[in-house]
Amino acid sequence: MVQFHEHIITELLEDSNGGLVVLSSGLSLSKLVSSLLLLHSSSEGTLLLLYPSSTSLKSNITFHLKTLNPQFNQIPAEITADLPAHHRHSLYSSGNAFFITPRILIVDLLTNKLPTSKIAGILVLNAHSLSETSTEAFIVRIFRSLNRGAYVRAFSDKPHAMVSGFAKAERTMKCLHVRKLHLWPRFQVYVSQELERDPPEVVDIRVPMTKYMVGIQKAIIEVMDACLKEMRKTNKVDVEDLTVENGLFKSFDEIVRRQLDPIWHTLGKKTKQLVSDLKTLRKLLDYLVRYDAVTYLKYLDTLRVSESFRSVWIFAEASYKIFDYAKKRVFHLVRSDGMKFNELSKGVKNKKRKSKGDDKDIEEVDGTSSSSSNALVLEEVLEEAPKWKVLREVLEEIEEERQKQGMLREELFAEGEDTDNGIVLVACKDEMSCLQIEECITNSPKKAMHEEWKKYLLNKVQLRDIVNKKKKPKDPKPKGFGILDGVTPITPAQNAETTSIGKQEHDALLAAASKLRNVSENDHVVEDTPQPDFGGQGRGKRKRKVGIRNVPIVLDGSGVQNNDKEEAVSNKIGMSDSKNKINEDETNPVSTARFSGTTDEGISVENIVLRKHTNTDVAARNGKPLPPVHFYALESDQPILDILKPSVLIVYHPDMAFVREIEVYKAENPSKRLKVYFLFYEDSTEVQKFEASIRRENGAFESLIRQKSMMMIPVDQSGHCLGLNSTLESDLNTPQNSVTRKAGGRKEADKEMQVIVDMREFMSSLPNVLHQKGMRIVPVTLEVGDYILSPLICVERKSIQDLFMSFTSGRLFHQVETMVRYYRIPVLLIEFSQDKSFSFQSASDIGDDVTPNSIISKLSLLALHFPRLRIIWSRSLHATAEIFASLKANQDEPDEIKAIRVGVPSEEGIVENDVRAENYNTSAVEFLRRLPGVTDSNYRAIMDGCKSMAELALLPVEKLAELMGGHKAARTLRDFLDAKYPTLL
Amino acid sequence: PSSQPSQNRNSILVSHRQKGNPLLKYIRNVRWAFADVVCDYVLGQSSCALYLSLRYHLLHPDYLYYRIRELQKNFKLRVVLCHVDVEDVIKPLLEVTKTALLHDCTLLCGWSLEECGRYLETIKVYENKPADIIQGQMDTDYLSRLTHALTTVRHVNKTDVVTLGTTFGSLSNIMGASMEDLARCPGIGERKVKRLFDTFHEPFRRVE
Repeated sequence: MVQFHEHIITELLEDSNGGLVVLSSGLSLSKLVSSLLLLHSSSEGTLLLLYPSSTSLKSNITFHLKTLNPQFNQIPAEITADLPAHHRHSLYSSGNAFFITPRILIVDLLTNKLPTSKIAGILVLNAHSLSETSTEAFIVRIFRSLNRGAYVRAFSDKPHAMVSGFAKAERTMKCLHVRKLHLWPRFQVYVSQELERDPPEVVDIRVPMTKYMVGIQKAIIEVMDACLKEMRKTNKVDVEDLTVENGLFKSFDEIVRRQLDPIWHTLGKKTKQLVSDLKTLRKLLDYLVRYDAVTYLKYLDTLRVSESFRSVWIFAEASYKIFDYAKKRVFHLVRSDGMKFNELSKGVKNKKRKSKGDDKDIEEVDGTSSSSSNALVLEEVLEEAPKWKVLREVLEEIEEERQKQGMLREELFAEGEDTDNGIVLVACKDEMSCLQIEECITNSPKKAMHEEWKKYLLNKVQLRDIVNKKKKPKDPKPKGFGILDGVTPITPAQNAETTSIGKQEHDALLAAASKLRNVSENDHVVEDTPQPDFGGQGRGKRKRKVGIRNVPIVLDGSGVQNNDKEEAVSNKIGMSDSKNKINEDETNPVSTARFSGTTDEGISVENIVLRKHTNTDVAARNGKPLPPVHFYALESDQPILDILKPSVLIVYHPDMAFVREIEVYKAENPSKRLKVYFLFYEDSTEVQKFEASIRRENGAFESLIRQKSMMMIPVDQSGHCLGLNSTLESDLNTPQNSVTRKAGGRKEADKEMQVIVDMREFMSSLPNVLHQKGMRIVPVTLEVGDYILSPLICVERKSIQDLFMSFTSGRLFHQVETMVRYYRIPVLLIEFSQDKSFSFQSASDIGDDVTPNSIISKLSLLALHFPRLRIIWSRSLHATAEIFASLKANQDEPDEIKAIRVGVPSEEGIVENDVRAENYNTSAVEFLRRLPGVTDSNYRAIMDGCKSMAELALLPVEKLAELMGGHKAARTLRDFLDAKYPTLL
Repeated sequence: PSSQPSQNRNSILVSHRQKGNPLLKYIRNVRWAFADVVCDYVLGQSSCALYLSLRYHLLHPDYLYYRIRELQKNFKLRVVLCHVDVEDVIKPLLEVTKTALLHDCTLLCGWSLEECGRYLETIKVYENKPADIIQGQMDTDYLSRLTHALTTVRHVNKTDVVTLGTTFGSLSNIMGASMEDLARCPGIGERKVKRLFDTFHEPFRRVE
């Protein structure tokens, strides 16, 4: 444990009420929390950890608990909705620590299934995402009212998120009912002292970008700047925040959205487009340094297809350069003069191809392109990412050093000194870069580029072919060469639609692609011829490596998708081969295992261990030896440093949080030698972004320190924080008083109001606000409606975004239909957001004529078809709560048991208290319902008949017809599933 | 009004009370004529509307109630068309909502006279229109249907749909793809990969 963690914990424990800790990102929040958990003893009572279900924080905490104290057998379990109620109750009273999602906790609190007196405290792990109306605040409020003695400790390692909005920290503390704010920036004296006492050896390598990369970067920034200028012209946003530097961050979107949201519906199309364009541009900038040239081009192609008709930026002058340079990084077009042809064949020879095949191909190129007057051919450029080469050099250098030290080490070993295990770790941003860099190192960069290029071209050609053939082989197993063998000539007629300018390029691309396919067949022969023997084990491994990495692409012809199946097959062949433990390590199983590692309960080291390769063969091929290397994707957020304990780190994509993690790791292992290489692109936005992220965090902390000095937290006599409701309640009472004026101002001693709320609604904040207003919330699963106010009144709540979406999907129509069927007063609640404008559109958007797409038309049509439907227009959450209260005033209280039964198909019986959203894979269900042929009446049967979407995709028509109750629907679905995606070209 | 002249079948009938209402300027796509009617606007055989400006409501809080009381029951759809023309809407809108809701009226809000006019026009024009535009019939071409389905997965956008489509070739292939394959697609990060994979492979029902 690092010392400053001890400091934090000591400070935090001083106040029995709890506190809010904000620390710099990367200072290992998960370790801090696990150290805190170690101090928990079951005699104090149960400890509940609230966590957002998406983060990997939970698995990291579990991991650290295991490593910190292997004897500690109280790894926090997770309380889920699948556990029966009495089981949950016994867990709540057990005195252990548990992970729990806010949604389950709030429901259990409301239904009195949680014995609050047995709870020692609550830990909130994502304090930055709280607000007054969030479920966490709701939990703390109820919890505090039942058990004043317990503590609430909240944490955040995202300081910049803690300063967004007005006095965010103070408001967060109030809604958590805590009074102490603990700030632990990286520049805090204890932290910096400890981390800088014995810093790792750092080598900062600045890699120059290629000419074209610089060009692209410049062009993107130019376009961004132009977009920002346009934004400023709209006079809708604060100019100060609109800088290119801010534009590099995701949070830029937040800044802009926060300013624009209140007036979003009044904005013109152009401004909205600008906002989304800026987002696209930011991605382009990021991908420029992350992806290789071919993938980048592919992404640009995709972008062009998916947004050309609406974006502003694509038509900006400089963006032409982006596309142009991106293309030039990959290929040139050359006029097919004799001389150039020679050049081409030369380039072709690099690919180790038989010249016989060559001639044939060229003829074919001629044949294809003859349709256009001046035939062009393609010349590959395939620019490699400059970092690749540098990485290789660094690795070579490391290996050299290792060899030297190896001799020394042998002597040291005798003394038992083995802190340097020689593990080399390369950290990249994402999984994709990991795979690719690995490929570059095991094979050569050139080869890696060629693979990408082949995929790119084949992709285009295959999609076309399949469109022609219309039928795809059903059998997922690669059948071999039967299908691929025949040279399918590409008829020029098919290209007819493409525009004249792009046409030549297009032809050339296709020619290259079809050529490549023929080549691949030849290539296959080449691969099969015995390779020079590298001797011993190395050779065997190499062979398999080839089998895994190359074959699929070579065979590939029946669709890229088959790659994997083939990979798997060849993999299996490999396994049945002689010795292949290493092989297992290297291929698919491990990488999938690693993915699941994030979700997996028990994190065992084996589960997370990364793809590792030994590379005697590589060494043999490339002359210089390389050390074994591990790869790690920063995105996957694993405690990688503690798992692997590397002694050399190469940070391929610099990231502030990871740098801090390295520092913490070094501070914890002071005796370990650690060398860190940073690879930056010189003068790139990558550097800018890295530096800006540090500046931004420091800025956030400075602002937090200022806020802390001026904070006002109300406290009662016993020192308990009063929180928010003390002020809120007095506010809320005033309108009620006016209602009761007939009673002479005397406060009515009426019974508690009760609202039945659907479980799924706990994602929204309305239940929280209704509770604040003094209503009793009864959470149940409703088949019809979201809120039941009385035996007559049933409400379907729609936020504005939901309203538009569910009109489009037809969901709203269906929901209203069932509400009208079962309730006397069916209500549609249209809920506007308080900080957004209260109107659908600006007057100028209304248009001159009645159009079917307008929201006015849709609402009118809904009213015409359901004249009994009532509509509530609510300004905000709080306004909704008031409307609900006044509507309920003269009505009976709703009946819980009846409400649950409404609309439930009788054969299913009564579903008791299940948390539907927890029990269903909701996104899969929604996805299923959107497929053609699937209707409201048959989707349940489909779900009964097969387990998952993946299983559904494999069902034959006959089986589908059985499930869906008709051949026509089954045919429609099957055809849709198998339909070929239309090609880009 | 017992017998309507035939030319009035296709026009909105406006009560003489509405004379001078600037709203009438904005009824442009449908013909209208003054007539002797109890409600403010007769929008068809079975629908009628009352017009209320929130500002007026603040001055005469009981007006709406009396107007609704004198409406006959022979209209199936009774609209209260509320012109939101004040800044502080919460209290007056609450009153209007309650009155309309408890007296069998459908409340529609417009923020400008133009918008209010458009509601009147639309209800008249759509008098006999089937509901298919709000029943989920959308573009039927392959790409829109695919986009419609795949974008149910959170954070997946149109560009990603194109990426997935071109990479895997068909929807069933996308659904069968491994995590690694999904991760190889440009623009699809860890989070999206996991969401997609879970959507396809997690069982529909988590608990049996």
